[in-house]
Amino acid sequence: MANLVSPMAGNVWKINVAVGDVVEMDDEIIILEALKMETPIYAVDAGKVVKIEVKQGESVSEDQVLVVIE
Amino acid sequence: MNRKQTALRPYFEKMSDIGKPLSDGEIKRSEDNIKIIQEQEEIISKAIEEVKNTGTPSDTIRKRGQMTVWDRLEYLVDAGTWCPLHTLYNPRTNEEGCTGVVDGLGKIDGKWAAIIAFDNKVMAGAWISGQAENILRVTDLAKRLNIPLVWLTNCSGVKLMEQENVYADRRGSGAAFYRHAELNRLGIPILNGIYGTNPAGGGYQGISPTILIAHKDANIAVGGAGIVGGMNPKGFFDLESAQQLINATKGFKEKAPGRVETHFDETAYFREVHDTEVGVLDGIKEYMSGMPAFDPKVFRVAEPALPKFPVQDLNRIIAANQKRPYDAIQVLARLTDNSEFMEYRPEYGPEVFTGVAKIDGFPVGVIGNKQGILPKYPEYAQGAYVGIGGKHYRQGLIKQSEFVTLCGRDNLPIIWLQDTTGIDVGDIAEQAELLALGQSLIYSIEKTDIAMMCVILRKGTAAAHYIMGGPQANENNAFTLGTPVTEIYVMHGETAAAASYARRLVKEQEAGNDLGPIIEKMNQMVKSYEDKSRPVFCAQRGFVDEIVTLPDLRKYCVAFAGANYQNPKSITPIHQMILPRTIKG
Repeated sequence: MANLVSPMAGNVWKINVAVGDVVEMDDEIIILEALKMETPIYAVDAGKVVKIEVKQGESVSEDQVLVVIE
Repeated sequence: MNRKQTALRPYFEKMSDIGKPLSDGEIKRSEDNIKIIQEQEEIISKAIEEVKNTGTPSDTIRKRGQMTVWDRLEYLVDAGTWCPLHTLYNPRTNEEGCTGVVDGLGKIDGKWAAIIAFDNKVMAGAWISGQAENILRVTDLAKRLNIPLVWLTNCSGVKLMEQENVYADRRGSGAAFYRHAELNRLGIPILNGIYGTNPAGGGYQGISPTILIAHKDANIAVGGAGIVGGMNPKGFFDLESAQQLINATKGFKEKAPGRVETHFDETAYFREVHDTEVGVLDGIKEYMSGMPAFDPKVFRVAEPALPKFPVQDLNRIIAANQKRPYDAIQVLARLTDNSEFMEYRPEYGPEVFTGVAKIDGFPVGVIGNKQGILPKYPEYAQGAYVGIGGKHYRQGLIKQSEFVTLCGRDNLPIIWLQDTTGIDVGDIAEQAELLALGQSLIYSIEKTDIAMMCVILRKGTAAAHYIMGGPQANENNAFTLGTPVTEIYVMHGETAAAASYARRLVKEQEAGNDLGPIIEKMNQMVKSYEDKSRPVFCAQRGFVDEIVTLPDLRKYCVAFAGANYQNPKSITPIHQMILPRTIKG
């Protein structure tokens, strides 16, 4: 089980996966937006998306869990 | 036993390793990036081809027994060293699509020179609009790098149909002759290969350099062969005066003055006369062998080495999507010798990196913007907002000023890798003294007498574009390069449209008016900003001196470093440099 966490405060700009998707290491999972810049969040390992903890447009804080990958 | 080594070997022979190979994931997800960059490269290549093919077709020139400007440069410049500049420069949007001169940095007989040649395909090398400014950029380049200026003159004089755009003005065509005089005064030699007919302005192009080498059919003169029919006393032309002109022209047989029989046999202005065009170029090569140049070993701090990682990776690393961050140190690792870097104050001012690298074995300072979010920074805005790479904050500005000053002390040339969105703004930023610190960096640059090369990797925006050794640093900036992803503007188009029309929107809405026309104007402004910040536009206007592919950046860095150390005006003995010791602590 691996939690993808937000490295910063910002908004969820785009979610590229759905629950059940199989992802590879380095796949782009979520794009955050802050200060007009996009920050992509990549999978740190291969696995299956079991939970998406945020919604598109939602504000997130630093260290908040975004996605759980098993 | 005799033993040899480079100076300060413990500092320079092996610096810290930087960079890492791209991961499979990075390679996979950067395929689209490569496509976007290739699209831009195609647009740029097409524009360059148009410039190269402008004017009289090359075959026509060759059928006349002449070489084109490109043939001459191909023969003159050492293979693999040509770094073109100003290829697309056309600030007055001439119908010719260029300024009628071709120039760049290149080696001749193993030595760097600023090289400039009239394009004999464009109105026999006429003075056309924007050309004077182009020439001044090249004389400035020779002056900044203290390297010979090599001219291939073939100049028919002013394009008479547009003399008002060419002849007069403070920086008009005659200014080049003062620049030549200045270079001579400073001890910077100008070699001149002379072809064709060069009357009036062309004559001064011919006479003003240091060494004149002529083709047998060349001439240089105060004026041309005389203007048939003289002045028309009527003040206008009619059928009668046109016929007089026709008759006079048919009987006109006067040869152009200032031919070889005058300026070789009589005045002896020409050092050499050659029967062939190639002979003139050989004459220049021979003179270049006598130009001042140190053996590179005097200034090298290590053996030259390629970066450990392929320069082609740059097309994957630098995000074409301007809103995406990238690892600036990964970029640096594709440019420096052996992918090594000696970083100055890495923990302080994290929005920029500053440090010493080796380029072709020569020590250079490098300054660049980092990208991405900077948590818990800047320190003066804790709790208010976080920092982001590309912007400048208090620590970063102080660090850059310190570093530039130390480079000035150690005579280290600087390469700026600029990708900046501006300097932090607002009351908090003003209290943090950012306005003064920005200007202080400008002062620090101006206070040094070192050459700088600037690359606008991606964004050049707001005052940050100036303060990071941009082309506005007239005394220091040798040249500025753009890339296929370069954008230069005072601010982003959307920001500019909001700034320009926000109040108007409020007013119109309060008056109950349709907002459509204002919104349309705003979108037109956004589109205009986009169109006028593209790489080709930037090159045509001279915002950059050339657009180069990302993998070609290393080649220009090598040319810059080599030219800088060829014959420096001032020397810091390597073993007396203070910057490496400051970094080590």
